[in-house]
Amino acid sequence: MWVLQSFPPVARDFVAAVPQAIWVAILVFIASVVAAVITGRITTRLLLQLNIPTVIEGTALERTAQEFGTSTVNLISGIVRYFIIAVGAVGSLSVTDLQYGTALWQEAVQFLPRVFVALLVVLTGILIGDKVELFVDERLRQIKLPEITIISRLAKFTTFYIAALVALSQLGVATLALVVLLAVYLFAVVAFAAVAFVDLLKSAAVGTYLLLHQPYAIGDEVEIGDTRGIVQEIDLFVTHVENEDEELIIPNTLIFKRGIVRVR
Amino acid sequence: MAVLSDLVDDIIADIQGLVMFSPTGSRYERFINADLEYPIIVVAPENNVNAATYIELPIEFDDARDQIRFGIEGAIESGIVAEGDAVVCNLSIFDDGPDSLVRVQVGESIRSGIYDLFVNSRADSSVIRDVFNVAIELGKKGQKGKPVGALFVVGDAGKVMNKSRPLSYNPFEKSHVHVGDPIVKVMLKEFSRLDGAFIVSDSGKIVSAYRYLEPGAEGVDIPKGLGARHMAGAAITRETNSTTIVLSESDGLVRAFKSGELIFEVDPEVY
Repeated sequence: MWVLQSFPPVARDFVAAVPQAIWVAILVFIASVVAAVITGRITTRLLLQLNIPTVIEGTALERTAQEFGTSTVNLISGIVRYFIIAVGAVGSLSVTDLQYGTALWQEAVQFLPRVFVALLVVLTGILIGDKVELFVDERLRQIKLPEITIISRLAKFTTFYIAALVALSQLGVATLALVVLLAVYLFAVVAFAAVAFVDLLKSAAVGTYLLLHQPYAIGDEVEIGDTRGIVQEIDLFVTHVENEDEELIIPNTLIFKRGIVRVR
Repeated sequence: MAVLSDLVDDIIADIQGLVMFSPTGSRYERFINADLEYPIIVVAPENNVNAATYIELPIEFDDARDQIRFGIEGAIESGIVAEGDAVVCNLSIFDDGPDSLVRVQVGESIRSGIYDLFVNSRADSSVIRDVFNVAIELGKKGQKGKPVGALFVVGDAGKVMNKSRPLSYNPFEKSHVHVGDPIVKVMLKEFSRLDGAFIVSDSGKIVSAYRYLEPGAEGVDIPKGLGARHMAGAAITRETNSTTIVLSESDGLVRAFKSGELIFEVDPEVY
């Protein structure tokens, strides 16, 4: 208490008038604000070091953030900062022993970290979803069909859906029905792909063999079924065979089924 | 100044199209927003201005005339301009951005087949471009500083293989090397000391090296003074649907042949 001795009498009275618990609470709160600022800085640095801004460049979230004069990195470090400040506030309140319908309060405090994680999951989900959309779009750009964007949209919303699911289960909301929906959806996609691509997959398997062993090469004259011609091109799925007036594009499965005759 | 603007007025009088070579975004924006009564045709390596009428430039032509020909032929092919139209081209002759206006009367004389060579060849246009770049690279560096020659036959590989015979074992047998692969530049430099032709398929696979071409050279009309390599290269394009790209050992130029004719030539040193 020697510090207090050096204070003028008015200040001494003031300090003595306020209970010690309040002082501790204020100190805890200030410490948490300092910690929040430092952690926020570190998070920003870390994200910049990991080259996050270039990775997420062009995503919708980043663009929206930039419209508001900020960036995704700032957003994330902001969330981290507010979380720590919130923890500090809760800590200082608990030190003061104030009673606010204790049971409810306790639950709210326990809930806070979950909200924080859920928020991070949602943010990451949005970022990844946007990135997936951009990536798929880039791949499909060669196909000049306007409706093709539905594929990239689908990929994006699937990612969003999964992120939302993780966030909701983090908050303890009953998500069983949503999980079942996801399972049905994924099963449908897989089943659809298996049925639709069966011929392509078969051809690719044969194509792999043909490319590895090259039983016939470009320039060979071959006979497949009733058709005869010169091999022009062999790729994973099809073989191009050309004769005087037609170019035949033969699926590789057919070559395995019917066999191929090399004409000498 | 009145006299100078008269000159420009003469060039831009009654035109049916404006061809811009590699315009910047803001520049193109300015013209497209001006609501001109004739179409603006963009010719560039990439359509990054999102132009509605766009022609892809596969390689950088060092000759402005080749560049203009390519653009105009592309525009004719896409039906944007027709024979008899007059168009103005805005292009860069020296390196510092667009520096010239050229008025061109669209007609038979402008056609050299240069657009046809890249776009309507049997092989993919990207394959032709890749082979071109390899030939130019080879011409620039040579083999250990000495000039080398090379002959690439692109497209219709099956037929070409049947019209040629191996000089030795084929180093590319059972391999899957494409001309666009980065490794090719190094590899071809080594292989270019081999004699004979490289054969490249429609999709860019290197089918064979060391091939001796055996076409009939009858009726092939190429400039006198070109050697046996050019003659063989030109002749094979008459008998098959291929395109050949030849790097000359003696003068170092890269030439392209199609249907037995010399379509155009470039000097690798200018690149």
